[in-house]
Amino acid sequence: MSEPLLDVVDLHVGFRIFEGYLSVLNGVRLAVDAGERVGLVGETGCGKTTTVKSILRVLPMPPARVTGGRIDYRGRDVLTMRRREVQALRRRELTAIFQDPLQSLNPVFTIGTQLRDIVRDSAVGQGTRLSRRAVEARCIDALRETGMPDAERIMTNYPIQLSGGMRQRVCIAEALSTNARLLLADEPTTNLDVTIQDQILRKLDALVDEHNASVVMITHSMGVVRDLTQRANIMYAGSIVETGETRKLLEDPKHPYTQGLMASVPKLTGEGISEGIPGRIPNYLDPPGGCRFHPRCVHRMEICSVEPPPFFEIGNAHRAACYLYQEET
Amino acid sequence: MTADRILDIENLVKHFPTKRGVVRAVDDISLFVASGDTLGLVGESGSGKTTTAQCVVGIYPPTSGRIAFEGNPIDVAFSRRPKELKRKIRIVFQDPGSSLNPKRTIKQILSVPLKVHGIGTPRDRLGIMSRLLETVELPPTEYLYKHPQSIGGGEKQMVAIARALATNPRFVVLDEPTSALDVSVQGKIINLLMRLGEELDLTYLFITHDLSLMRNVATRVAIMYLGKLCEIARTEEFFRSPKHPYTRMLLSSIPVVTDQEESLKPEKIVSRGEIPSPVDVPPGCSFHLRCPERMPICSDVDPAMRAMDDGRFVRCHLYEPG
Amino acid sequence: MREQLKADLLASLRQKRRGFAKGWYKFSRNPLSVLGLVVLVLIVLAAIFAPYITPYPEHAKPYTDFQNAGRPPSRTHFFGTDRVGRDIFSRVIFGYRFSLTIGIVVLSLGVAPGVILGLIAGYHQGTWIDTVIMRITDIFLAVPPLVLALAITAMLTPNLTNQMMAIALVWWPWYSRLVFALASSLRSEYFVREAELTGASKPHIMFKEILPNCLAPVMTKMTLDMGIVILLGATLSFIGLGVQPPKPGLGTMVAEGAKRLPGEWWGTIFPALAIVVVILAFNLVGDGLRDVFAVEEV
Repeated sequence: MSEPLLDVVDLHVGFRIFEGYLSVLNGVRLAVDAGERVGLVGETGCGKTTTVKSILRVLPMPPARVTGGRIDYRGRDVLTMRRREVQALRRRELTAIFQDPLQSLNPVFTIGTQLRDIVRDSAVGQGTRLSRRAVEARCIDALRETGMPDAERIMTNYPIQLSGGMRQRVCIAEALSTNARLLLADEPTTNLDVTIQDQILRKLDALVDEHNASVVMITHSMGVVRDLTQRANIMYAGSIVETGETRKLLEDPKHPYTQGLMASVPKLTGEGISEGIPGRIPNYLDPPGGCRFHPRCVHRMEICSVEPPPFFEIGNAHRAACYLYQEET
Repeated sequence: MTADRILDIENLVKHFPTKRGVVRAVDDISLFVASGDTLGLVGESGSGKTTTAQCVVGIYPPTSGRIAFEGNPIDVAFSRRPKELKRKIRIVFQDPGSSLNPKRTIKQILSVPLKVHGIGTPRDRLGIMSRLLETVELPPTEYLYKHPQSIGGGEKQMVAIARALATNPRFVVLDEPTSALDVSVQGKIINLLMRLGEELDLTYLFITHDLSLMRNVATRVAIMYLGKLCEIARTEEFFRSPKHPYTRMLLSSIPVVTDQEESLKPEKIVSRGEIPSPVDVPPGCSFHLRCPERMPICSDVDPAMRAMDDGRFVRCHLYEPG
Repeated sequence: MREQLKADLLASLRQKRRGFAKGWYKFSRNPLSVLGLVVLVLIVLAAIFAPYITPYPEHAKPYTDFQNAGRPPSRTHFFGTDRVGRDIFSRVIFGYRFSLTIGIVVLSLGVAPGVILGLIAGYHQGTWIDTVIMRITDIFLAVPPLVLALAITAMLTPNLTNQMMAIALVWWPWYSRLVFALASSLRSEYFVREAELTGASKPHIMFKEILPNCLAPVMTKMTLDMGIVILLGATLSFIGLGVQPPKPGLGTMVAEGAKRLPGEWWGTIFPALAIVVVILAFNLVGDGLRDVFAVEEV
């Protein structure tokens, strides 16, 4: 069993603010194998973006503090790497797509300028130098691969002249032009129309296949995770509560939170919408003890408020952090 | 026999002249909403659904066409509308973050509609506001004095709903009320809206891009594309056998979570191309460039809306008689 | 019922106090801003209690003592004496009175009309109201402040009052412009739309919905402007059109002492430093205020 490409081990991250200390990430455990497509599903405030930022080491370090855990990338702990190593990591190995392409793209430079910068930078990171023509060719190829019509003209456009879907395609081109090994996609299609989202996700799927990259797809949409990932991780209030093969997990969710989520998703079968999950996400200033979901859980037991549950094996690589499954181990 | 039509839109057109050309946001649509119904208005960007709602509510006056509310014409902008109308027609916006003034407390925010429409004496108002918050299940003593930024998105939207209901309206436009919220919060809000709709005898115009949500909420569904209506039908018929190619394309693109739903989706239609901009509407049927069922006539002639036997309306050459 | 109203009032006050505490926390993150605030408070207190805390308060009035003229800084005269024997330290403290007065009066006179005009113009952007107000603003902005102030004080008798009116006259347009920009962009916010659709009156929308969202930049600008206004006042005094000798305006003292440079440097340098210190203090406080008002994201 080869070691995973990315292994987040028991990560604890918090933020110091006026009112006190926000204890956000509470022991995140997440692994991605080479060539695997993994989903990270969670709602607003669960900590998924904080996790991604921790992996990329772009958390603003004064308010943010890492109080425990490791992020192993190919065996080396990202958190202890020196600046130059992290930079090399970002140039060669990791790449990211974020939710709002308007924020990821600099409005005052043309697409061409930005893309060329990235291609040149990643080439330097990989130790090669490219001629101007080679850089240009690589840019145009990257754009064409994402299904962009008329790539040459797009190179001369400014981000604001493009539609949302096209901008996101540019971001994908930027991300994949570096031939990175691991792609972190943070809600890449949430702001897009449904038919465009469909096109883009398919394209992303195909490209990831071709480039042999691994993906961490972060989203709040169970439907997207179902279509695009092989394994899914459900995140709540700073830790992963359930992980397993995507289809199985969605068909038969074990953790009460996952069950609540699945029940809340409106379905085409028209059976009405559940009342959602009672309660609110916890206040990170004073989070509940033990399992952070316990105040909202209908199955809660004594032990749930005392000890945070470890992962219990349920089936084939299907694990849930819930004492309901303690006997099954 | 016409059911009590609380809202009746006839040949509504709304164009915006801009430097790059005329934006044909709404391009001749006709629809009605029966009292007590929930009409779902669905579409992607550029479809005109939001502009239609804005014309109904009075943010824009129509370029042409008629809008009638409770039988009376209301096709003017809000500055020309009688106050009584502003009391009866209310709107809940999509983004709770910007629909509540960040520098005012919830109490101040809720007091505005009460003061403007003279609801209750000043002394009663505190009680009225408390009751409004209780209706949306937010404890008044906690929430009245908070500022919007210290409460969550779902709660902000509840406040927006309470504000909309403060004037005892008859008709509420819901512009993507839960699109910016998490799915676990959405359920609570949607159920609340449906319950209140029953209790207070409200009629809703529900705008969204989420067809799965529509399936569970609307009594009738209308699909818009580039300013025109494609199909209108009662919900069950709509989802059981969608007729318009765009409707089928939409339905086949939505991500679902169960195999059961998967089997309900129409055959996969791979959507091609970008959605055109409403400045640059293709000739003939506006959808023909992306339509898998395109025929020669589609690039020339724009089809008209036709009524079909089962009470639905479709606008497509495929269903033209002959 | 009365209980309820009392509880209501208490809750509102509690909320306000919490907001203030949070603001202070953010402000105190900046040690320099706190320093600026401390210095400012000291200067203000010193200026208010000048007659009681300065060693030679009578030197601020007409006074001569040629025996002690031109003495360098010493333990009895911290900043030395000027060419007619007056204690410069005491005069500087009294001089702060003029500077602070100018700042307060000019801003009081200039900010309110500017803000109101900008608010009205911004809300009515695109109509004739906007055009009229903003073109008048543009006219005033086109004239350099110093030149206009010069012209006005030259036409009338040079004294502090006229100086203040002159500067106030050129100051309001900046606020008008600032608030116009803010108001015209806030106009399209959903919460303003909502108030309009509800049927709220225009004054309500302008003053209760839009204005509260403009206050932060206005207050920050006011703090930074204090420094500029003080400098402008000192400049006018320096060229003889402001505070007239023998009154101890800071600019006036700089001018008087300048004749004695570089030999009796203390006559000019200390009043000049005093000006620098007060402006710096206001700037530091302004910086801190900007952080207080910044919307934070975690």
